[in-house]
Amino acid sequence: MEVPWLHLIPLLPLVGAAICGLLGRWLPRAGLYVVALMSVLLSFLVGTHAFFQLDENTARLHQLAFNWFSAGGLHVDMAFTLDRLSGALTLVVTGVGFLIHVYSVGYMEDDPGYWRYFAYLNLFIAAMLTLVLGDNLVAMFVGWEGVGLCSYLLIGFWYTDEEKAYAGRKAFVVNRIGDFAFLIGIFVLFNATGTVSFAQLDAAPLGLGVASMAALCLFIGAVGKSAQLPLYVWLPDAMAGPTPVSALIHAATMVTAGVYMVARLSHLYVSAPGVMALVAIVGALTALWAALIGTSQNDIKKVLAYSTVSQLGFMFIGVGVGAFFAGTMHLITHAFFKACLFLGSGAVIHGLHGEQDMTRMGGLRKYMPSTRTTFLVATVAITGILPISGFFSKDEILAQALHTRAFNFLTLTPNGTTHLGFLGPAIYVVGSLTALLTSFYMWRCYFLTFSGEYRGPDSVHPHEAPPVMTGPLWILAALSILGLVLGLPEHWVRGTFLERFNWEAFTARVFSTPRSGAPEEFTPFIGYAIALAMGWAGFAASHRLYFIRGLAGDEALTQAIPRLRRALFAKLYVDEFYDWLIVRPTWKLARTLWNIVDATIIDGLFVNGVAQLVAWVAALARRFQNGDVQRYAAVTAVGVLALVYVFLVRGP
Amino acid sequence: MEAILFYIFAIGVLVAGAQVILRRNPIYGAVSLAGAFFFLAGIYVLLSAHLIAILQIIVYAGAVMVLFVFVIMLLNLKEEELGEQRVTFWKAAGVAAVVATAGVLVWRALGPAYPTDPSQIRDNAVAMSAQGFGGVKAVGKVLYLSSVLPFEITSLLLLVAVVAAVVVAKGKI
Amino acid sequence: MTDFFYSHQPQHYLVLAALLFALGAAGVVLRRNAIIVLLSIELMLNAVNLSFLAFTRFPLVANPPMPGGIQQGHAATFFVIATAAAEAAVGLAIIIAVFRSRLSINVDEFDTLKF
Repeated sequence: MEVPWLHLIPLLPLVGAAICGLLGRWLPRAGLYVVALMSVLLSFLVGTHAFFQLDENTARLHQLAFNWFSAGGLHVDMAFTLDRLSGALTLVVTGVGFLIHVYSVGYMEDDPGYWRYFAYLNLFIAAMLTLVLGDNLVAMFVGWEGVGLCSYLLIGFWYTDEEKAYAGRKAFVVNRIGDFAFLIGIFVLFNATGTVSFAQLDAAPLGLGVASMAALCLFIGAVGKSAQLPLYVWLPDAMAGPTPVSALIHAATMVTAGVYMVARLSHLYVSAPGVMALVAIVGALTALWAALIGTSQNDIKKVLAYSTVSQLGFMFIGVGVGAFFAGTMHLITHAFFKACLFLGSGAVIHGLHGEQDMTRMGGLRKYMPSTRTTFLVATVAITGILPISGFFSKDEILAQALHTRAFNFLTLTPNGTTHLGFLGPAIYVVGSLTALLTSFYMWRCYFLTFSGEYRGPDSVHPHEAPPVMTGPLWILAALSILGLVLGLPEHWVRGTFLERFNWEAFTARVFSTPRSGAPEEFTPFIGYAIALAMGWAGFAASHRLYFIRGLAGDEALTQAIPRLRRALFAKLYVDEFYDWLIVRPTWKLARTLWNIVDATIIDGLFVNGVAQLVAWVAALARRFQNGDVQRYAAVTAVGVLALVYVFLVRGP
Repeated sequence: MEAILFYIFAIGVLVAGAQVILRRNPIYGAVSLAGAFFFLAGIYVLLSAHLIAILQIIVYAGAVMVLFVFVIMLLNLKEEELGEQRVTFWKAAGVAAVVATAGVLVWRALGPAYPTDPSQIRDNAVAMSAQGFGGVKAVGKVLYLSSVLPFEITSLLLLVAVVAAVVVAKGKI
Repeated sequence: MTDFFYSHQPQHYLVLAALLFALGAAGVVLRRNAIIVLLSIELMLNAVNLSFLAFTRFPLVANPPMPGGIQQGHAATFFVIATAAAEAAVGLAIIIAVFRSRLSINVDEFDTLKF
């Protein structure tokens, strides 16, 4: 259905960003807050209106904003499509985004650059909405690049601190690697099908080779944007930005863009089952890797960052095994509880006046009851020890991985005999192990922060955050609980009013199913039991180590596995490895090129060389004019002789 | 008869010209040039250019050379002040070029450009001598009727030259 | 040689003019005394005059299409004489002026018009 107002959804935050950015320095504080918050709220309302227009007959809303360009056979429009998937994501982005805007009003109160912050934040919302609502790959790429830009701007928000500026740069550079691959993927798809529009791509037949190539390239882009192995290194460093930024960009929305892209191109990915297997494997490995590192970090934001990487790995497991609805459901629930966790940690940091190290926290439940409660609810959600939203979404992914049939016909080599059908259960095992670790380190985080006694210096008096910050916390905690309706098993809710909330049914017609067929039918209860067991096991271990003994739990663990702990604390040396492998050789190459090409050839040979050549020629030519008139006359005579020779001897 | 006269005058001109460029003392050079002008006037008469011959003597030999002699005497240079003559490469090359040019011109002049068959030779001047070829009236007619513009401009040029000479040579105006 | 005058050929006069011109040009190139240089220039101009008059006396075509006819050659010679006189006057004035500041008329020393 064509509607003329769909473009308002990304446009309103963009206008807000323009006003805040250009006029923010001179606007009164309250006025700027109104502009920034209202633009996101209005976008949310328009999105809601659009979402409720979707029903049985209307699968999607579409609007052609303007014809962007045509070059040769390529015709690109800036067009927006809102279907069930992008509609839900729009609500998540604008809704959670609005809550974070409200929270930021309190968090950035003392910062002199607050107007710049809100401009960037609005710009981010606009870019993210362009990404989600984009009708074709190029429009999505515009949003993709836009969120990368805003991520850079916001990570390095306090740019006067070199480290924070470098963190922003690192994020941008690592993202760039992915973006490059993304572009290659677009080129491959355009070359094969002649179009970049999602609707037309879904209808185009693709051969296995082409589809695999395109899917692989696009997935590498997702690896960069969504911080998977090996391009996840920017996300922990991105914690240098303000905490609401970490909540919005690096937990709830931007990093999920990769998952959204894979889900949006589900037709392409089911045509390339090998790449799907790769997606699932990368997701599983990333989840495990990040969970391991997360157990040994002391900075509360770093723990949450690694947790995000790990949970993103889960989402990729979901879309990798063909359960696109499971991955996207976890995307939505994760947005709720991870944002709640980050905002809670922000409240803690705010209340401790900048302290981020958990070894100097503890006992904060007495000082920050609201924060503690919401943090507790969100931790329960992420670890899945009680059946609220996170439990259902995570378990759904693992169950789908176990019972998937997407890899049934995959073999290791083109005509080989090693069938890869075992991948599903293998990923299930890895995922369950990761769930155990997730529970362990998240409860460690909670216990070290809120339980026990306060370990910090006496000069710091912890206090609760103002209501403008705790309000969004409560709302997000409530959403973390309520999100369970998305994942309740279907035969429980059939016939009740909760039926329409079931995400699987809601998005049934949006995604394609794997070639090898839909997953096997199964009853979820065994899976629930195992998942609960994993969650409780992690909780128990963490409780034993940290609730009772506090920081001593860390020491006990260190004594037990000293080298592993050291390696985990040092983030498994990945940054150092990249530095040795890539960063330093690149710097050396750049310096060498600068020395050879720029300094020697261009400066020396071309610029200075030309000048010297001119000077040399001039020195030669100067000798013709020595002021001796008789010499001039003699030379003239020689010239006359030549003329006479030409005209009289040889004839003209 | 005319041939003898021509050769006498020609030899005289050439010797005088050589004296001009060869003598050290500029007075000798100026006087030799005046002599050359006299011989040239003779040759002009041979060419039936009577007016020009008279003008040559009056203006060139009589005015220009006198001016030269006056200036030379005014400068009053001693012999040794002129210094040594250095013959550089370019001077020699220039002289050689000049000689070569003259050689080419001579060769062409004596070449087959002019017919030797008496029947093809025309001498318009003889026919025109009835009308006073080369005389005052004939030349005056041309000067005042056909080329009156160059005539007037030349008079302007002479005026400018007089003023310029006075201004430049005076030093302090 | 007997019918020299009636040979109606200008070659001899032209040869003489060429030789005179060569003498004058050599004088310009060789001599250091500025006055001698001016004299050599006068010599060259006279050579040109001679060739003008020779071609007027022995024209190549019967009625050359010039305003005033063949007599134009004498008019041209007239102008050359006038111009040469003017030029000699000015040139000598310049020599006097230069002599006043440099006390020398050696053209080798007048080489300040250079880089």
